[in-house]
Parts: sequence; C-alpha cells; structure tokens
Amino acid sequence: MGDILAFTLVWILVSALGEIGIQSLIHHGVYYYTATTQALDGEAAFAFIITVLTPVFAFIVVMIGYDMIRFRSREPGMRPSPRQFYNNKVFVSIWILVSIALNLLFFVHPTASAVEQMFNSEKERYNRHDLIINVTARQWQWLFDYPQYNITQAQDANGNSILYLPVDRTVRFVLRSYDPMHMYDPYAGVIHSFWIPAFGVKQDIIPGETRYMYVHTNKVTSYNVDPMVRVQCAEVCGPGHPFMEAPVHVVSNVDFMNWIKQQQKLQAGQS
Amino acid sequence: MSKTVDSEGRFHRDTDWQPGVFFGVLALVLLIGVAVLFGRFWIAGIFQKAFDRVPTQGTVHVFQFDYAYEPRHITWRVGDRVTIALRNMSDTHWHEMVIGRGYDTVPSAFGAIATQFKTDFWDGVPVRISNAHHVDNLVLNKARATFVGSKPNLATGGDFSPTLQPGGSINLTFTVPNKPGEWQYGCFVQQYMHYVAGMNGTITILPAK
Amino acid sequence: MSSVVSDMHGARSEHARVKRMLPPVVRGLLWALIGFLVMNTLVSEVFDRMPYHPFITRASVTLGWVAAVGGWILGVGAWEGAVKPYLGYPEEWVVPQDWRKYFMYSTDHKVIGLQYIFSSLGGFLIAGFAAMLMRLELMKGQMWIFNNPGAYLSTVGVHGTVMMFSVGTVALVGGFGNYFIPLMIGANSTSFPRMSGVSQWLVPAGIATVVISPVLGQWTTGWRGYEPLAGQDPAGILFYYLGVFALTTSSLLVAINLTATILFKRAPGLTWNRIPMYAWGILAVSLLNLIWLPEIQMTFVMALLNAVIPLPYFAQIGSPLTYMEMFWLFGHPEVYIIVVPAFALWQEILPVMGQKSLFARQWGIIGLVFVMILSGLVWAHHMFTNMRNSQMLPFSFFTEMISIPTGFAYLVSLGTMWRANLKLNTPTLYTLMSMFNFLIGGVTGVLLADPVVNLQVHDSFFVVAHFHYTVIGAMVFSWFAAFFYWFPKLSGRMYNEFWGKVGAIWVFIAFNMTFGQFFFLGLHGMNRWVPVYPSYLEPMNFEVSLFAFLLGLGFVFNFLHIAWMWNKGPVAKDNPWQAKTLEWQTASPPGEQNFDPIPKVISGFYDYRDQRLPIRNSPQKEPTS
Repeated sequence: MGDILAFTLVWILVSALGEIGIQSLIHHGVYYYTATTQALDGEAAFAFIITVLTPVFAFIVVMIGYDMIRFRSREPGMRPSPRQFYNNKVFVSIWILVSIALNLLFFVHPTASAVEQMFNSEKERYNRHDLIINVTARQWQWLFDYPQYNITQAQDANGNSILYLPVDRTVRFVLRSYDPMHMYDPYAGVIHSFWIPAFGVKQDIIPGETRYMYVHTNKVTSYNVDPMVRVQCAEVCGPGHPFMEAPVHVVSNVDFMNWIKQQQKLQAGQS
Repeated sequence: MSKTVDSEGRFHRDTDWQPGVFFGVLALVLLIGVAVLFGRFWIAGIFQKAFDRVPTQGTVHVFQFDYAYEPRHITWRVGDRVTIALRNMSDTHWHEMVIGRGYDTVPSAFGAIATQFKTDFWDGVPVRISNAHHVDNLVLNKARATFVGSKPNLATGGDFSPTLQPGGSINLTFTVPNKPGEWQYGCFVQQYMHYVAGMNGTITILPAK
Repeated sequence: MSSVVSDMHGARSEHARVKRMLPPVVRGLLWALIGFLVMNTLVSEVFDRMPYHPFITRASVTLGWVAAVGGWILGVGAWEGAVKPYLGYPEEWVVPQDWRKYFMYSTDHKVIGLQYIFSSLGGFLIAGFAAMLMRLELMKGQMWIFNNPGAYLSTVGVHGTVMMFSVGTVALVGGFGNYFIPLMIGANSTSFPRMSGVSQWLVPAGIATVVISPVLGQWTTGWRGYEPLAGQDPAGILFYYLGVFALTTSSLLVAINLTATILFKRAPGLTWNRIPMYAWGILAVSLLNLIWLPEIQMTFVMALLNAVIPLPYFAQIGSPLTYMEMFWLFGHPEVYIIVVPAFALWQEILPVMGQKSLFARQWGIIGLVFVMILSGLVWAHHMFTNMRNSQMLPFSFFTEMISIPTGFAYLVSLGTMWRANLKLNTPTLYTLMSMFNFLIGGVTGVLLADPVVNLQVHDSFFVVAHFHYTVIGAMVFSWFAAFFYWFPKLSGRMYNEFWGKVGAIWVFIAFNMTFGQFFFLGLHGMNRWVPVYPSYLEPMNFEVSLFAFLLGLGFVFNFLHIAWMWNKGPVAKDNPWQAKTLEWQTASPPGEQNFDPIPKVISGFYDYRDQRLPIRNSPQKEPTS
C-alpha cells in the first residue's frame, strides 16, 4: 500500500508540473504562428489532446522511473522477487476502462467536433461571398488566378508567383495539378500538397481532380512578418519540390483592392 | 569449378574455399560499387579529359534523359561542319538544349536561381534545322535559321532553344563559329528545375588549326 | 566436419592439380554478373532492339536484374543445396564449421538467423550513413553536400527503403525470429530450412539493388516509391521496386517458415497456453506479413509495368490515388510488423530481469493479436490530406482505438515490473528506453490521428519525428535490448555492463535530442523531402544535425562494443539470467543440435515463484543453469 501511495503522490506532482509546462507551451502557441481561424481550431484541438494526455504520459513515465528506482535489484546475481502475482483485476479493469474512455472522449472531442466544424465551414451556403482563387500546381511552380478579378498568374516584379489575400475573408482555393503549358503530356501532373504553415491546413492536389481548401484569414501579416506565411509544397513532387514556394501577403481590404488594380494593370501591359 | 573424386568414385566439389579470394573479391566489388555510386561523373570526367580531346566531326547524337544529357561533354573545332542530332529519350518529360555561358538569374527564397545562359552561343550563327519531329517549340533568338522539311512551332523569348516533346528529335547543322573556349549546355524547362537537377553538359571549342 | 571432407582431403593428395571451389559469395557475384549481361544483351540487343537506345534500357535492366538475382541465389549455394536435391541428385553441399558458414547457403536456423541479423545490420549501417549525409546537407538551408536536389531525394529514398524493408521488417523477424523461435519452442530446426536458406540471400541482393539504384537515375519518391510521381521519375525507380520486391519476398518466406514452425514444431507439452510471448509476437507479425506482403508486391508489379512499358495506370488519365491507397493498405500494417516484435520483447525480457512472473499475460497476447487485426483498418490516416471527407472519421476512430491494444503491452510490462527484483542492466535499460520512446511515438500518434491536427502536421518534420520515435525509438532500442539480452546465448560470452550502459544512455540522449526537436521543426513549418529550406529554420536544423551525428556515433560505439565482446568477452554461463524460457535450457551458444533429446515442457515459462525448470530433465543431459 505504501508503494501505491508514494507512486500516486509522485504521479500527481509530476502531472502538475507537466501541466504547468504544457500550458506555458500552449500559451506560447504550439503552432508557432497562426493567421486563420482554421489554424486556431487546429491549435485548440492540439492543446486539448496534450492537456488531457499529460497525466497519462506522466503515469507511465513515473511508473517506469519508480519501478527502476524502488524495485531495482541490489544484489549481484539473479534472485526471484519475493513478491509474485499474475494479475490484478482492479488495476487491469481500470486501465482498460480508462483507455477506452479516453479514446472515446478524443473521438467525440476534438476529433468529431473539429471535423464537423471544418465540414460546416466548407458548406456552400456559408461561402457565397468567398474570394475564389484558382491554384494550379505545375512542376515546379504555383500559379494563382483570381477569376473574380480576371487576373491570371499573379506575380511580383521578378515574375515569381505571389499570393495576396484580404484579411477577415473566407478564401476558397480551387486546387488543380496539371501543366497548362504542356497539356499534351499526361505524365506532367503529379500529386502536390498546398500548405501554408501559418494557415494550419494543407490539402493534396491530385492530377485529374479538383480539390478545395477553405480558410478564413484573421490577421494582417505576410511572409516578411513571419516566414510561416508562405505557400510550400508539402508532398514530394520531383527534384524541384523544395523550390515550390511562394510568399503570401494577408492585407487589409483597401490594400488588397490596390494590389488587384496593380496586377490588372500589369496584365494589361503584358498582353 | 573443380570437382574431385572421393574414394567411392562419387564426385564432390572441394568446398574448402579460400578466405583470401573471398575478401579480395568482396573488397573489390564494394570499392567498385562505392566508386560508381559516388564518383561516376568524376571518373568519367577524368577519362574524358585524358582520352577525349579529339574534336568530334560530323554528327553528334545528344540524348536527353531525365535529368541528364548523354554525352555530357562535346569537343568541336572552329570551322568544322557539324550536326547536333538531338533526341529526347524520356517518355514523360519535354527537354530543351540551350548553349551558352554565364547566367541570368531570378531571386527566390532559396537564393538566386539560374534561368538561362547570359551569352547565347547561337547569336548570329547560321544553322540548318532539319528532321524536326515532336518539337514542343523552337526559340530562334538571334540565330540565322534555315529549315529543311516541316517547320517546327516557333516561339519567342530567351536564348536559342529547341524544346522537344517526349520522343521528339531535331537536327541542327552548322559550321562551328569562331567562338573558341568552354561552353555549357543545359535544360532550363519546368521553372528552371531541370538545370538545378543536374541536366547540363560542357562543350570545348578548339581554335581553328 | 563430416567424413565427406576427409575423403576430399584424401582425394586432393592424389590429384595435386585439384583447384578449390570459388567462395560461394564470389561465385554468386560471378553468376549474377553473367546472368545480368546475358539477359540484358538478349533483351536490349536482340529481342527489343530500338534505334538509338542505350545498352541498358528499362526493359533490359528489369529482366537482367531477375537473371542476376537468380544467378546470385544459385551461386551462393542454392544450386547444390536446394535445386539439385529437389531434382533428385544427392545433396553435396558441405558447410565448413568455422566463420565461413555465415558466408554461404546454409540450412541451420541459427546460421540463417545470424545471417539475417548481420544483413540487416549492414542495411542499418548503409542507411544510417545515408541519414548522416542527409543531416549534413540539412545543416545549411542551401545545397552544399549534394550537387542537386535529386541526389538528396535519392538518398532519402535509399535511407527510408533500406531501413524499413531490410532492418525494420527483418532484424527482429528474419534475424532474431529465425534464431530464437525454434530454440524457444523446443525444436531443432524450422519447418522449411532450405527455403529459409535461400530467402536470406535475397536480403543482401535487395539492399544492394536499392543502394545502387541512383546509378540508373535519381528517383525522388522517398521510401514509398509512390505513383504518379514514380511514373515520371528517372529509371532508378525500377531498382527501388525490384530491390524492395526481393526484400519483401524474403520477409514473406520467413513468415511462411516461422508460422509453420510455431504451428507444427513445438516441443511436446508446449501447448497454446504456454507459447512464449516472443513466439506470439512473431506469429502475429508473420500473419501480418502473409496477409499484406503479397498485396504490396502486386502493387509493385503494377508500378513496375507502369514505369517500364510505360502505362498510365496512375497518371492523371488513370487513377492517381490508387497506388497510395494500396501502399498504405500495406504500409500501416508494416509499422506494426516492426513494433509488434518489440512489444513481445519487452514482455520477454522484463519478467526475466525482474525475476517476477509475467503480469496479465493473457492481456499481453490479446494486445498483440488485436494490434495485428486493427492494423489493417487504420491505413487511410496516412491520407487525411487527400481523402474524401466521409472517410476521415472512421479511419480516425480506428486509429485512436488501436492505442488500446497497444497500451496492453505497457499494462503487462509495468505490471511485471511492479514489486519486481529488477536487474538494472543493459537489456533492461534498453527495454525501458524503448517503452519511453514508444510512449512519445504513441502520444504524438494520438495527435496525428486527429484529422484537424493532421492537416497541419502531416508531411512535416512532426510526422518524421513521430515515426522515427516508433521505428528507432521502439524497434531499434528493442533490437539492442534483444542483442544484449541474448548476447550470451548468441556468442557464449558476456558483454561489458559498464560500456553497455554507457552506450544505452548515449544513444538514448542523442536520439531524444535529435528527434524530439524534429517535432518543433515540423510545427514551425519544416516540410519533408527538402534539401533547401527557408533560412529561419537553419539554426535549429544545424543543432539537430550535431545531435544526429552524436546518435550515429553512439550506434557505431554500440556495434563496436558488441563486436569486441563477441570475440573477447568473458565466457558466460549457459543461463546467466536464470531465465525460464526454453532457449536458455541448452548450451550457450547452442550446438549443431539445439536439444538432444527434445525436452518435454511441463509448465509455463513465466512463473518465477520458484526456480523449478519448466521442462522435464532429460536423463542424458543435465540442465546447465
């Protein structure tokens, strides 16, 4: 009984310390930098899971440590332990019930609840005023078209692709993988993955299919503020994979419209 | 394989094999493996520098693979009449062949990336273009081209570059201009990444005799 | 040495000009070379001659490889040892009883086991070297070690492929499984010794094929060889498919052999209730192999045809996701193929080192078996970023649920250690470290099972950290635990306890400092398969690389310790741990016959209430404990 009591005390202590550490980590932001509501949702799910799992983690680590120290053999040879038992129905039952309960809890929240939120945000009726951006992933470049503003292939002064988004707006990315310049080649399309680390979601882009990704921007930021605000291909797509990157700018509505005008002018000049 | 006969007249292989042969061959095979894996281009370069200084006459076949040329080095002499028979051996990718030296670059998050050569070898060079099949596009830039047979799809922008579809071919016949020295060839398609992936080669042009 | 050998010596003195046989490995290499050249020439120059094509084409190299592997297998001894006896000729294959027996075809399960162990050790060193090259490259955000990204990606692919298919699935199954399963169930051989002798030689062939693959062209897909990218990769991808085909074939043959052995060759009295935990683990793993390896092999055949012919199976006009689905359908069970033996090892080592009866043994077995069953229902969690929304919740559900049977391995291990008399030696340390590491792998697995979190951390270094915690953290640490635990059995000698512990603590710290930081790299936006990355990630990558080198050195240190003590260590007793399982109830190392006569089992192996042996003592031979 003494061992159980001592172990429990250590466990509670370590769990409490662990929670303090975990909460300070969560306070600093486990996702480092977030710029969309989707990222905040994901971060909250992450935080919930590690908060609940900290005592579980502590239980096993403390038990390993406690066994190592308290029940270590102090003599040179091998000697059977004087205390032998094969089972402990109470312990086994609690273990199984707790592990089932924890998993069911996680499945209900955050898994199902957050997924439901995500599915809801993709419903058509909530997305009538989305900014639509056609994203084309070709080897090895991102192309961003703004069909509502007649902009094809938004680019910066160097001709590199660039993504501008207005703040506090739902954006629907329409994702396709093919090479618009080489439509004759069926092998040109491979799987890419559209990831903006600060946005907290990624979506693979499958050749021959159209996929969607929805985000709701919630702060003005840019690649220059934090390098996590960038488009980055996350699925290996050939030797050019690491170079499939594009800076992102989330700007105020006024700045966004200015940028749109500038891009439109640029395109008029090109054609 | 040797066989010995035991006292009952049955054949037996002498299985008492020698460790020396075993370790020797094993070490040799490992050495060859490591050399091929890490140093094949380096070794090929040494060989080519040592034995391949004779300028190529006539037709040189340049094969385009994913993402490499075969051969990786050509030697010409000024004034020789030569033909590049360019063939894209890939089933899946289009490739080009730009010849020049120096680089134009574009900045990126990972540093400057070469987009093409600064000096175009073909500037002002008269070239006869023939046998064009499955050409994606051909940029002439300042080359003085004449065509034999079907004329490929012409495009503009950048250095002289024939871009071949998978399985495509083109012949470029010309007299080696008086531009001696070291030149490079490379493929910059797919957002310059073929060049980054190692699709390049070198040309040595020897001065006229 | 048999009488045949003395006859041969007699014969040699009569015929002075007799040449010795080539060493089998050398003959295998020679026959492989001949096979490759003949077949390749036939295909590329005769049957499938194309204008302007090089001597080695995709079709010719594929068929040439088949001929080369055939030549290799026959040359190392399958010709005399397996093919000719099958055709009715007398078996004339004499294995010298010295170190040379490890370098030729053999039917002794102990020799085969050690061959597998050292083949996978070779794979581990090669793939580990590749990992060091990768970490060296990642010290900077720019390309500096490799000339081009394709070279880096090929290195990633070689590292992952060799680690997974020649170490992860082989070391604890083909290696320790082949060596110890017959010993643990009281048999003198496996069920199909000839097949087993052949299957081992596919491992070096497979490793060599994968390692040399970049020569054909740099493939970029990583260890999955995934389509549609593989369909447009350079020809090196062919050797990925072929090499992995050889390695998986080897594992499949091991699975057939060990399943049959456990089912049919148990000693009298070794009932289902008494089957040792490691045998349960190997049985579960072998069933996984039997179910899933043929599936992935068929997928590889399709992908190979796709790349050779070429066909657009998986291109945008085909079905691009099918390969990924079929790969992960195998790929997730693969993960459990790797860790289930590790779980079994914890439950094997802890009762011995704690000298205490195994706690809740039935739950341990239920855990192993249910992990095996559920592992086929979780695979799509590798595809949350590209699957239909409707699939997310079911796969998320099963993925979370698999932590329950996995937890039983902890339940049993912790319960066994509670109030034990725990010997804190090297195997115990490694076992506990393995439990700690897998715990981190498991906790982060719960995070990854959550689709919303997964959409952020998938394909980032977070995932890389997670699976290195499960594969290195659990499996490699358990591999070391097993190595030190069975060291006296394998070598007849004892390792050095001090240096063993130093090695354990060394790799434990270096491992956690390396891969622990991977989690934060991933959360900070470091994506996978990149030799160049934005500069803000450079300081952490630089420092991670230093710990990675320390980890590499730690592994080398451990192997040197093992190699040194194998030859120079003090002679060990037959049963130094006072263990009750059968493999310890015979000489260490075992003679040519494991047991003479076969023992009769009279009780379970995990009862430490007293020091009675679980077998009835045979009259001829006293137990040596």
